[in-house]
Amino acid sequence: MNKRILSIGFIVAIIFAVTAFPTGNGLPTGIGNENQVVNGCTCHTGGENGNVAIILQDLPEIYNVSKNYTLTLNISGGPPEAEWNKGGFFIQASHGTLHSIDDNTWKPEGQTHLTHTEVGNNYREWSFNWTAPESDSYVAKFSVWANSVNGNAKNMAEHGENSDGMGSSGDFWNDAEFISAGATAVITETKEEMSVPQKMIYAFGILFLTLSVVVVGNRMVVKDQSFEDVIKDYWDATYPWLTTTDHKYIGTLYIVTGFGFFFIGGILGLLIRWQLLEPRVDGDFLTYEEYNSTFTMHGTTMIFLAAMPIIFGFANYLIPLQIGARDLAFPRLNALGYWLLPTGGLVIYMGYFTGGAGDVGWTGYTPYSSGDTATRPGTDFWVAGQIMLGASSTLTAINFLTTMLRMRAPGVTLMRMPLFAWSILVTVFLLLLSIPVFTVALLLLMADRTFGTLYFDVTAGGDPILWQHLFWYFGHPEVYIVILPAFGVLSEIISTFSRRPIFGYTSMVYAMATIGIISFIVYGHHMFTTGADPLFRFIVMLTTMLVAVPTGIKIFNWLATMTGGSIVLKTPMVWALGTVITFTIGGITGIILASIPIDIALHDAYFVVAHFHYVLVGGTIFAFIGGIYYWFPKMTGKMMNEKLGLLHFATSFIFFNAAFYPMHNVGIEGMPRRYATYDPELAGLNEFISIAAMLFGFAQLLFIYNVIYSYRNGEEAGDNPWDGWSLEWATSSPPPHNSFTEIPTLKVAEEEEA
Amino acid sequence: MALLEDLIFFDNPSIWHSFGGDYGGYGGVVWQMFIWSVIVALLVGVWLLYNLIYFRHTEGDPDHADSLKAGVFPHERGNVKIELAWTIAPLILVSWLTLISLGPLNYMWDVDGQEPDLIIDVQGGQWQWVYSEPSCVDIEDNAWCTGGIYQKPPEFTKCEEYAEREGVPLGWDCVEIPDNAIIHFRITSKDVLHAFYIPEIGIKQDAVPNLETLAWLDTGTVSAGEYNLYCTEFCGDSHSLMLGEIHITEVQ
Repeated sequence: MNKRILSIGFIVAIIFAVTAFPTGNGLPTGIGNENQVVNGCTCHTGGENGNVAIILQDLPEIYNVSKNYTLTLNISGGPPEAEWNKGGFFIQASHGTLHSIDDNTWKPEGQTHLTHTEVGNNYREWSFNWTAPESDSYVAKFSVWANSVNGNAKNMAEHGENSDGMGSSGDFWNDAEFISAGATAVITETKEEMSVPQKMIYAFGILFLTLSVVVVGNRMVVKDQSFEDVIKDYWDATYPWLTTTDHKYIGTLYIVTGFGFFFIGGILGLLIRWQLLEPRVDGDFLTYEEYNSTFTMHGTTMIFLAAMPIIFGFANYLIPLQIGARDLAFPRLNALGYWLLPTGGLVIYMGYFTGGAGDVGWTGYTPYSSGDTATRPGTDFWVAGQIMLGASSTLTAINFLTTMLRMRAPGVTLMRMPLFAWSILVTVFLLLLSIPVFTVALLLLMADRTFGTLYFDVTAGGDPILWQHLFWYFGHPEVYIVILPAFGVLSEIISTFSRRPIFGYTSMVYAMATIGIISFIVYGHHMFTTGADPLFRFIVMLTTMLVAVPTGIKIFNWLATMTGGSIVLKTPMVWALGTVITFTIGGITGIILASIPIDIALHDAYFVVAHFHYVLVGGTIFAFIGGIYYWFPKMTGKMMNEKLGLLHFATSFIFFNAAFYPMHNVGIEGMPRRYATYDPELAGLNEFISIAAMLFGFAQLLFIYNVIYSYRNGEEAGDNPWDGWSLEWATSSPPPHNSFTEIPTLKVAEEEEA
Repeated sequence: MALLEDLIFFDNPSIWHSFGGDYGGYGGVVWQMFIWSVIVALLVGVWLLYNLIYFRHTEGDPDHADSLKAGVFPHERGNVKIELAWTIAPLILVSWLTLISLGPLNYMWDVDGQEPDLIIDVQGGQWQWVYSEPSCVDIEDNAWCTGGIYQKPPEFTKCEEYAEREGVPLGWDCVEIPDNAIIHFRITSKDVLHAFYIPEIGIKQDAVPNLETLAWLDTGTVSAGEYNLYCTEFCGDSHSLMLGEIHITEVQ
C-alpha cells in the first residue's frame, strides 16, 4: 500500500515538474525563428551580425496617449547594395498598434508585427505608422530585426544559375530594441531568456523539490508523523554525513559526489551531441556562446568534478584499509578537502545564473580567457571554483602522502603494498608537484580578470604562450593522475579474478613510477603547433613516445597474469577486460598523436577528442565502474546484481565504441574540435555518433538502478567474496567503525608456508 | 552503407599520400603508424582471447599452489627475461616511430631553407582571416612578379567572386595562390589565439598575437583547386564560422 501511494506520488510529482518546466518564449537573437516566417526573412540567418546599423527615426521618448506617429526604420552597413533585394526587416511593438502606410510594408493576417513586402525588399528604409497605446502607464518596446542583402541569389536566378543555398550567403543581419515610454510608466529591467542548461538546472531543481514534498508528505501520512518529526529524522540521518571525519564516510561522499557530477557532465555531453546531431545555425538549439559554455563545463566537470573525486573517493575508502591504518593522518583536513569540492563545483556552476557559464574551454587559454570576449562573470566563477578545487586536491595529496609513508601496518612495507595503493602513492606525488602550478596560474588569471593586472595581456607585452606552459605543466601530469589509479584498480581486479598473484609486481611498480616521472617532461606535445622551439618539440615527441614503454609493460603484465591463471568472469573482471581493450586503443592513438607531423594534421581535431575519450572514459571511468562492482560488497556488505552488471557492461561497451570510434574518422576528415556547427558532408557520421552517445548515456541508468537495487536487495557478501589478498578483505564488510578491530599484520606467503 | 564505408576508410587522400611526396614522407609515417597500431592491437586482442578460451575457471578446479589468501602478500611471480623482452621491444618500436617521424619534419619545417616565391601575411582576428597582398622575393620576372613587384595574374578571379558572394572586403577569408610555387604564410593574430588549418594538406599553425609564425607550402606537391581553411584554436563565439577558402590556380 505504501509503495503504491509513493509511486502515485512520484508520478504526480513528475507531471507537476514537467508542467512547471520553465520555458523561455522571449524573442531569439537573429532572424529565423518561426515568429518571423514571413516574406523571406528566414533566408538571411547567415552572415555576421553587428555590421548592420539600425535606426528607428521619429520615435518619441515619451509618447502621447493614442497618438499616431509615423516612424522610419533605416538600416546601413553590411554588403554593398545591389539593384534589387537590398534588405528586409521585421518589427514588433509590445504595446500600441503598427500600421502599414504603403506597398513596401505589410502586416500579415492575424499578426501584430510589420515586415517588408516583396517590393519593400528593394529598399533599406521603410516608413510606417504606430498608434500609441491608450494608457500612459506602458513602456512600448520595439524589437527590430533587419538585414542587409547583397542580392546575389536573385542575380544568379536571373542568369539561370542554381541559386540554392545562396539566399543567405554574404547577407548581414542585426537586431535592435527601442523603447518609448508613457508619462507614468515605470521602466523595469527586461528579463532575458534562459539558456538550455539553465533551464535544465531549474527543471531538476523543481523535480527535486516536488519529489521531496512527495517523500516527506508520504512519510507524514503513512507513519502519521508531524512535519517536524520527519525533518528531524532526515536531519538525524544527514547530520553524521555533514560532520564526519571518518575516511569511509568521506570516501563514500566523494564517490557519490563524483558520480553525481559525472551524471551532470554527461547531460552536458549529451547537449553537445544534440547540438552536433546536424549542422545547426546559431541558436537553432544552443547559441554558439551557450555551446562554448557547454563544452567548457563538460570538460571541467568530467576532469575535476567527476574523475578526480571518484579517484579520491576510492583512495579515501581503500587506502587506510589496504595499508592497515585506522584512518588518514589528518582526518579533519580530509573533511575540509572534501567540502571544498562541492563548494568549488557550485561556484563553477554559478556562472549559469549570471548570463552564461565560463566559455574558455577546460584549458582556459589566454589571451581569450584573460580578455574581454570571454563570458563575464561566468569565467570569473569558473576561475574561482577551479582555485578551490586546486586547494582541495593539494590538501588531499599531502594527507595521503603522509598517511602512506608513515602509517602502514606491520608487514606492509612499500614493496608489499597492493598495486592500487602504489598507484595512489604515485598519483599524489604527481598531484602535489603539479596542481599548485595550475592554482598559481589561475590566481594570476583571476588577478588579470578582476584587478586589472597584466600577466597575460598581450597588448601590454605579456607572453601569449606563458599560460600554455603553466597549464600543460600541470595538465599533462593531470591526465596521468587520472589514469594511474585506474591501472591500480585493473591490477587488483585482474589478479583477483585470475586467482593468481600479479605477474611482475616489481616491474608494475617501476612502470608506474616511470610514467609518473616522464609525465612531467612530455607536456610540450600539446603545443606542437604554437611555434615553439623545434628542439623542444622534438624532445617532447621522444619522451611522449617513451610513455608507451611502461604502459605497454603494464598491459602485457596483466595479460601474463591471466595466462596460466584460472579466470573467473564476474562483472568486475568483464569491466576490467573491456577497459584493457578500450584503453589499448586509446594508448595507440596516443602514440599516433605523439608523432609531430601527424599531430600537426590532427591537433585540435576530432581525432584528439576520440583519443582522450578512449583513455578517460574507456580507461578511467570503465576501470572505476569495474571498481564499484568489485568493492561494492566491501563497502555495503551486499553483492551487486550480476545480470544487470553484465547487461550494463554490454550496452556501455557497444555504445561507447559506436559513439567514440567514428570520431577518429570525423577528425581525419578535418572536423576541428569545439565547433558548434560543421561541414554538412560529415552530417551522417555525426548523427551516428550523437545517437550512439545518447544510448551510451541511457545505458548508465542501468548502473544507477543496479546500485540502488543491490543496496536494498543484494545477497549478503561476506568478508571476502572475491578471494582477494589485500588487507581490506581481512576486515568485515562493511568495515567496523575504526576500520579494524585490531591493527592487522600483513603476512607473506613464503613465510606462511615455511 | 555509405556510413559503413566511412568508418572503414580513413578518407583523406592527402594525408595518406600526397603531402611530403611519397611513402618516405608523410604518407609513409601515417602508413607505418597504421600498420603498427593494427599489429599491437591484434597482439593484445588475440592474447586476451587466448587467455579467455584456455584459462577459464570451471567449478571444482583445484586451487593453484600460489592462489591468493586474505591478509597474505602473495608469492612473487615474474620472469625477468620475458619482462625485459616486452620492455625492449616497445622501446625499439617507439624509437623507430620517432625516427621516421623526423623525416617529414625536415620538409614541414623547411629545414633546407628553400627561398619562397611569394610571402603572404595572414592576420587572424575575431572572426576572420585577413590576407595581405602577396610580396615577391625573386628579382627574376615570372608569371606573378614583375621587377620584384607582385602583379596579380589574370587567372586569379576566385577571391573577387568570394568577396562579392559573402559580402566581405577583398582579402578577407580568401586567398588565391599560384601552383608550382613555394608560399610562405607569415601568420599572426590581432586579438586571441587562432590556428590556420588546411585539413586536406595537413598544414596547421597557430596564429599568436605578438608572434609571427610560419606555414610553408609548396603548391607543386598538391593539386590545383579549392581547399578549405578552418580555425582550430578556440577563439570565441563564432569560432566555428571562422572559415575560409584557399585557391591554388594554374598560371600560364
